[in-house]
Amino acid sequence: MALLEITDLHKKYPSGESALRGVTITVEQREIVAILGLSGSGKSTLLRCVNRLVEPDSGQVKLDGVDITSLGKYNLRKARAEMGMIFQEFNLVDRLTVLENVLSGTLGVSTLWRAVTRSFRKEDILRALELCSRVGIADHIKKRADQLSGGQRQRVGIARALMQNPKLLLVDEPTSSLDPKIGAEVMELICETANERHIPVLFSVHDVALARTYSQRVIGLGHGEKIFDKETSDLDDSSVEHIYGFGGAETAVSARQ
Amino acid sequence: MTRVTQAIVGNPLREPSVVARRYVAYSLVFLLVLGMSYHLLVVETDWARMGSFSDIVDNTSSLLPNLSFVPKIIVPLMETALIAFWGTLLAVILSVPIAYISATTTTPSMLLAFPVGKAIIVGSRSTHEIIFALIFVAALGLGPLPGILALACRSIGFMSKTTAEAIENIDRRPVEAIVSTGAGAVSRFLFGVVPQVLPIFLGNAIFQFDINIRRAAILGMVGAGGIGLHFSEQMKVYNYSNAGACVLAVVTLVVVGEVISNRLRSKLIAG
Repeated sequence: MALLEITDLHKKYPSGESALRGVTITVEQREIVAILGLSGSGKSTLLRCVNRLVEPDSGQVKLDGVDITSLGKYNLRKARAEMGMIFQEFNLVDRLTVLENVLSGTLGVSTLWRAVTRSFRKEDILRALELCSRVGIADHIKKRADQLSGGQRQRVGIARALMQNPKLLLVDEPTSSLDPKIGAEVMELICETANERHIPVLFSVHDVALARTYSQRVIGLGHGEKIFDKETSDLDDSSVEHIYGFGGAETAVSARQ
Repeated sequence: MTRVTQAIVGNPLREPSVVARRYVAYSLVFLLVLGMSYHLLVVETDWARMGSFSDIVDNTSSLLPNLSFVPKIIVPLMETALIAFWGTLLAVILSVPIAYISATTTTPSMLLAFPVGKAIIVGSRSTHEIIFALIFVAALGLGPLPGILALACRSIGFMSKTTAEAIENIDRRPVEAIVSTGAGAVSRFLFGVVPQVLPIFLGNAIFQFDINIRRAAILGMVGAGGIGLHFSEQMKVYNYSNAGACVLAVVTLVVVGEVISNRLRSKLIAG
């Protein structure tokens, strides 16, 4: 059984824009899957429907056999705690320290009392410190998050997601706010740390080269529909052109390099 | 070319008859205001009471502070500062839940909680502190407690409104990340919202304390404790130099309060 099964997912925004039109995908244990597509093709919406940051209109999302789409408030929180998410713009709390940002990954499972008193369990703090040194920000744990560079900030985001001990990583264009060199380092780090922990990764990306390098399978989205779903080795130039349409010559060129 | 066209067509708003009518209308309005003001200022003022120029100088100089009265008003002055402090603190604490329910992004219910929060804010902001003080003095009797409650009621609106607006204007992205960890409403608020709002909130609280010192100085006049009571007493017995000492004491307190609050606020903005 696949770890993540998404079946016939539909989402229409109140503006009338149809973001997803019957998407069905699966992610296997320990698999790294890339989602490719133009801006507005539904990549972000798809990822956010998995943990219901965006509420899908119909269809089913199953994580490890649990139907996420039918969960009530409390159980949804428990399910969200099992999925780590990494964001395009890092989404750190600027005025908290690096360590506090990483520790906020435990908020899904911490008690109300601990949240109110802002106290964390000792073993969580130790694990947060470990993660900070694993992602290379051990020297900055006491700094405020807004004092770091973009690459460092995304590393904090990675540590926060891993802090959840997630069953799955949802990664939304992790490199789009970074320069190509730092972006590749960050992507490398996400895949390495996920592999160490046997966590499958579902990531959306603009850069075809990154998808080629790091994913085992590629899903192409176009206008909210799945238009490609094959092993990464089968992603040739004509399929890239298919995903990005005929106007995507520039992307296709950068993909060949 | 344009000059020729203008000469032929002319500017309809500058036709002599239109201009004349306009000036007549202006003059009438001006005369009306002048006439009403004459009644207000000249007829309704008891000019004889002002006396001659030397009388004016005499009366004004009698307001010069009597410094020997100052030691007697030190305690009521501190009382005024404490009334301002407790009134502000009470408002600051109570404004947190009210701001939470009156911010569109955090309110638990747009139909129930939101209108209640907005009603409290409007009621608090549109009622003068003297009105609140009169109500609380009537209910609780003379003393500082009605003053504290009056200031709290007056300040809740401002604190809640500015805090609710700050909550609505935060960056939603970190909150999204906190939600994605499975955090509940309390953790979302404490870790996603509070760190972003806190500097604005504390800055406004200090600002409100500064204003409340001024307000507290007046409240005593209606019996709600503090130095205002002594001021009105001295005025009633025509002891203007003692009243002047009260004014001097209040000015000193306000200046000290303003200096302290400015220091704290600039530290907050820097930090």
